[in-house]
Amino acid sequence: MISIKNLSKNYNKKRVLNSINLDFEKGKAYGIVGENGAGKTTLFRCISGLETYKGLITSAFDKLKDHLGFLQTEPFFFSKITGKEYIQLLANARNISIPKIEDRNLFNLPLNQYASTYSTGMKKKLALTAILLQENDLFILDEPFNGVDIQSNLMITEIIKKLKGLGKTVIISSHIFSTLADTCDEIYLMKEGRMIKKVEQHDFNKLETEMKAFTIGDRIDKLDLK
Amino acid sequence: MKDHFQLQFKMINRKIAAFGLPLFIGYTILPIVFILLSNFLFSKIELASYLYGVAALSLSSKLSEPKRNDFLKLIFSTKKYRELRIVENLVVILPFILFLIYKRVFIPTLALIIITIILTLINFNTNLNFTLPTPFSKKPFEFLVGFRKTFYLFLIAYFLTFMALYVDNFNLAIFSLLLIGLICMSYYSKLENDYFIWSFNLSPKQFLLEKIKTCFIYFSLLSIPTLILLTIFFFKDLNILLGFLILCYVYLTTLIFAKYSVFPNEMSLPQGIILSICFIFPPVLIAVIPYFYSQSIKRLKTIL
Repeated sequence: MISIKNLSKNYNKKRVLNSINLDFEKGKAYGIVGENGAGKTTLFRCISGLETYKGLITSAFDKLKDHLGFLQTEPFFFSKITGKEYIQLLANARNISIPKIEDRNLFNLPLNQYASTYSTGMKKKLALTAILLQENDLFILDEPFNGVDIQSNLMITEIIKKLKGLGKTVIISSHIFSTLADTCDEIYLMKEGRMIKKVEQHDFNKLETEMKAFTIGDRIDKLDLK
Repeated sequence: MKDHFQLQFKMINRKIAAFGLPLFIGYTILPIVFILLSNFLFSKIELASYLYGVAALSLSSKLSEPKRNDFLKLIFSTKKYRELRIVENLVVILPFILFLIYKRVFIPTLALIIITIILTLINFNTNLNFTLPTPFSKKPFEFLVGFRKTFYLFLIAYFLTFMALYVDNFNLAIFSLLLIGLICMSYYSKLENDYFIWSFNLSPKQFLLEKIKTCFIYFSLLSIPTLILLTIFFFKDLNILLGFLILCYVYLTTLIFAKYSVFPNEMSLPQGIILSICFIFPPVLIAVIPYFYSQSIKRLKTIL
């Protein structure tokens, strides 16, 4: 469905993505993990077309971005726009008519309240609702579980499974490994702009152990907590 | 408190630099522009001092932004916070105060100082449940957001229309129409987050046309009360009225094209200069509009 060949990205002289090669198929969910600054968000912005890049990204669509729902780590909201109007804005952008937005409010958000007054988790849920209602074929979810309550976490997990069932492709980045293990078919490990490992479902537990050892190691001892 | 103001000063300097102005020139041009505009306002409008006061309050009210104040309350003691807010509000309105004193209008000056100080004592609620209804919900976001931020300016514009009829002053009538146009133009002064451009499945040309269509419909909606009244009461000057109305549509189009002509950047000094020339000498629009349009198409192609 999407093929990425030799994708590289520089910010001035700093290389943030280095020869990334990936293939994403229909009806599958993919996890991308890595430390902060590993290049996950930049990779997502390149796939969505929000950044220029070197390399090749091809897909089954004429214009990938018109079939893509992108949930950003920190979704942006205008200061005086209600939740309902935000959904309307994103629906208009894709020429989609939603007769009764209130009936599609799966997270029970206060849709007539200004979105900028929402909590972090509510903002994320609103942005997710909006891209789900756009009827996209591909979803990129950048940290969808961050700041979201446990009930909504369960809901998002089920949504991802449902999307897979509908033949959609879902790419997720998350620091919460259990949610990725629950939903993903493959997980890719990124480090300093490189894709260093691809792990299939049967090896997820092994990856988590390796990541813990690698990430934590003896670093906490450096604090010399007393 | 001294650190706070030093930091504010640095931030202003950075904004001037980001606009593309060398600091020395910025600090020379800004007061000159301010004095010229103030003189223009006082020479053209009878109730200029009141309008001037509202402009000063509108500017100082930007410092009352709830999140900003929550932050200040967290880092300063209550006493320090109050002092700081009073001082910064007074600093912001100082140029207006000096000009009002120069014009010898002392009562509005005193009223402005008192209201400014009172405003610093009010705690603005950060989680107001009230949502201002607007007729623009179907096509977010410029007019939807803009109207909610500037609805009080429309009350002033409509009041000026009423005053123009009351004192039978056609110039004031035209000014009230232009004021509506200017308010709507301000909705296009800042570039939106790229996500909200990227989301559209339109070509750059279709995207721009959609923006213009929405803008024209909503601007017409907001100017209808003024237009109807002016058509009835100044029917003999209808051709002039229509001329200014068309000019508003042309400037709105120019603003939209100018905004996207520098995407993903914000408009800066070169665009500001070109737009200023357009306002002073409208015939240049014949060249400027196609230029901004072609640049917008080129820039938007990178994302749409």
